Amino acid sequence: MRHLPSFSRLLPALGLALALLPGCYSRSDMKSEEGAVEVPQDGTPTEAPGAVPARTPEGTPTPAAGPNAQPLQAVNVFLEVSGSMEGFMPKTGVGGENTKFQQHVAQFLSEVNRSTAARQKTFYRIKERPYKDSYPAISGTVRNGIQQPAKSTDIPSVLDTLMTNYYRPGTVSVLISDFIYSPKNAGAIPYIKTDIADALARSGQKSDLAVSVYGYTSDFRGTYYPALKAAGKKTNCCDTEIPYYIWVVGPASAVRQFDAALLEQQPAKQVHFGVTYPQPVYSALNKFQNKGSWYYGDAGASKRTADTYRVISVAEASAQQPVEFVVGLDLSGLPGQYRDVAYLKQNLKLQGVDTDAKLLDVFAATSQTKASSGPESRFTHFAKVGLTRQPKAARPLVLRLQDQRPAWVAQWTTKNDATPAPKTFALSSLLDGLEQQEGEKRPIFELPMTLQPAE
Amino acid sequence: MKALFRFLYEIIGAPQPPADTPVYRDVVFPNIGLLNIGISLALVVIFYYVINRAMGVATFNKGRHWAIFLVINGLIAFGLAISQAHAQQVTDHSYIYWLATWNAILGLFWFFILSLILRKGSTNASTTPF
Repeated sequence: MRHLPSFSRLLPALGLALALLPGCYSRSDMKSEEGAVEVPQDGTPTEAPGAVPARTPEGTPTPAAGPNAQPLQAVNVFLEVSGSMEGFMPKTGVGGENTKFQQHVAQFLSEVNRSTAARQKTFYRIKERPYKDSYPAISGTVRNGIQQPAKSTDIPSVLDTLMTNYYRPGTVSVLISDFIYSPKNAGAIPYIKTDIADALARSGQKSDLAVSVYGYTSDFRGTYYPALKAAGKKTNCCDTEIPYYIWVVGPASAVRQFDAALLEQQPAKQVHFGVTYPQPVYSALNKFQNKGSWYYGDAGASKRTADTYRVISVAEASAQQPVEFVVGLDLSGLPGQYRDVAYLKQNLKLQGVDTDAKLLDVFAATSQTKASSGPESRFTHFAKVGLTRQPKAARPLVLRLQDQRPAWVAQWTTKNDATPAPKTFALSSLLDGLEQQEGEKRPIFELPMTLQPAE
Repeated sequence: MKALFRFLYEIIGAPQPPADTPVYRDVVFPNIGLLNIGISLALVVIFYYVINRAMGVATFNKGRHWAIFLVINGLIAFGLAISQAHAQQVTDHSYIYWLATWNAILGLFWFFILSLILRKGSTNASTTPF
């Protein structure tokens, strides 16, 4: 019997061998498993069509999510037509030449009118109060000049009107003006900030109020009315360009969507107040300008998708063998001001506990990184972090972008606008009034990571 | 299981370059570890049970015949480690060949151990290698 080929005896061994073979791990089938489990998370309200889709990384709630976090629905455009605006919109000359203001604003109005980002668009001329206008009429005003200029418009009362009558969830008010605010007397000048803050709050404090200010300059042909009336108006102005502004006022999420859809395309000076942005997609990159002995410390690191690495395991770090790693950031959802590399270099801060980790460099994506086959192709900006001491235990490390008033505001501000210049009277005081009063300024984003010693 | 293979394969040092550590620990080590045991077992079964029992071959039971299988096992283990590492797109590094060499040594070890355990069930080679 023993000599008979009894396969039944072999079966357990063969069975074991067979059982072992398919037990092997592979990255690809782990990925597909993960993909199967993954439920499409689309917690954010659907963006209005045409709006630049803001990518919300899964698991991070949109900071703008509040009772008024509705998609953009309506846009009210207000064009100031006081006498001081006439120089921006002169009657068409013989040669058919126009000002930059006319060119830009006419185009902007047309874009708003055609935009699919909001369903309802309404146009107003601002005199002593807003007058409803049609798109053709207001576009005609911009092209052909103001027919009946208003005497003067007072910025606080305009803002008050906007806040009282036009502030609604999903609605933004767009104000096009030179924002030359002349207080009734010189004694009121120190209180400009307070006047603006009061005007915004008069109809009740809005917790999610956001204002985006975009600044432009244009040539100016007409009479220039300085804020300080004592200086007297200047006729046949000017040789220099005069600034004008587009203010977008509304609930934070609507303002963000409007900015992204309609104002980010063109270069402009910009500053934002109270606008909140979804947390950008970010990840440590282990094969992009990496140096030293570290690796992804995330659980299941090999089966993760490439843009979710947040844990850095440092095996060895010393002054001789420093560790350097690059964090990829996708800032495409942020306005241009915060994507500016110079701004990022100044205001992107790294905060760690018990570590000497420093931000070494911040740089934007190049055609080379975009064309790369690695995960770095997904990111628009990169922050390089260096450290020379191994962490003793798992410690948090945070990349934070501070909200800082951009330098142009100070440059465009003047205390005396008697001489026409590309500056606006008391601009920084006006903007001070927009600033949230209470508490510290919120950072634009905070990206938590973890530094830990290698196991 | 992962911890066991990680221990086994990090006897020769941490994976290089460090950036690929998670891939080696999560994927490459378990893969080559399991395959290595499986292939060693399969070769032992072929030698002792298929050739020297089921097929009844009487002239393939000497120590040198066993050594042929041992060497084949080592070569398979070496090639396996290299191909598995490359299949996970790790960065080229001499570490891959150190790992492959270590995997071959482990393969020889598994083959030897399994031989000692399973040779008793063979008819013609129950005393091979000794």
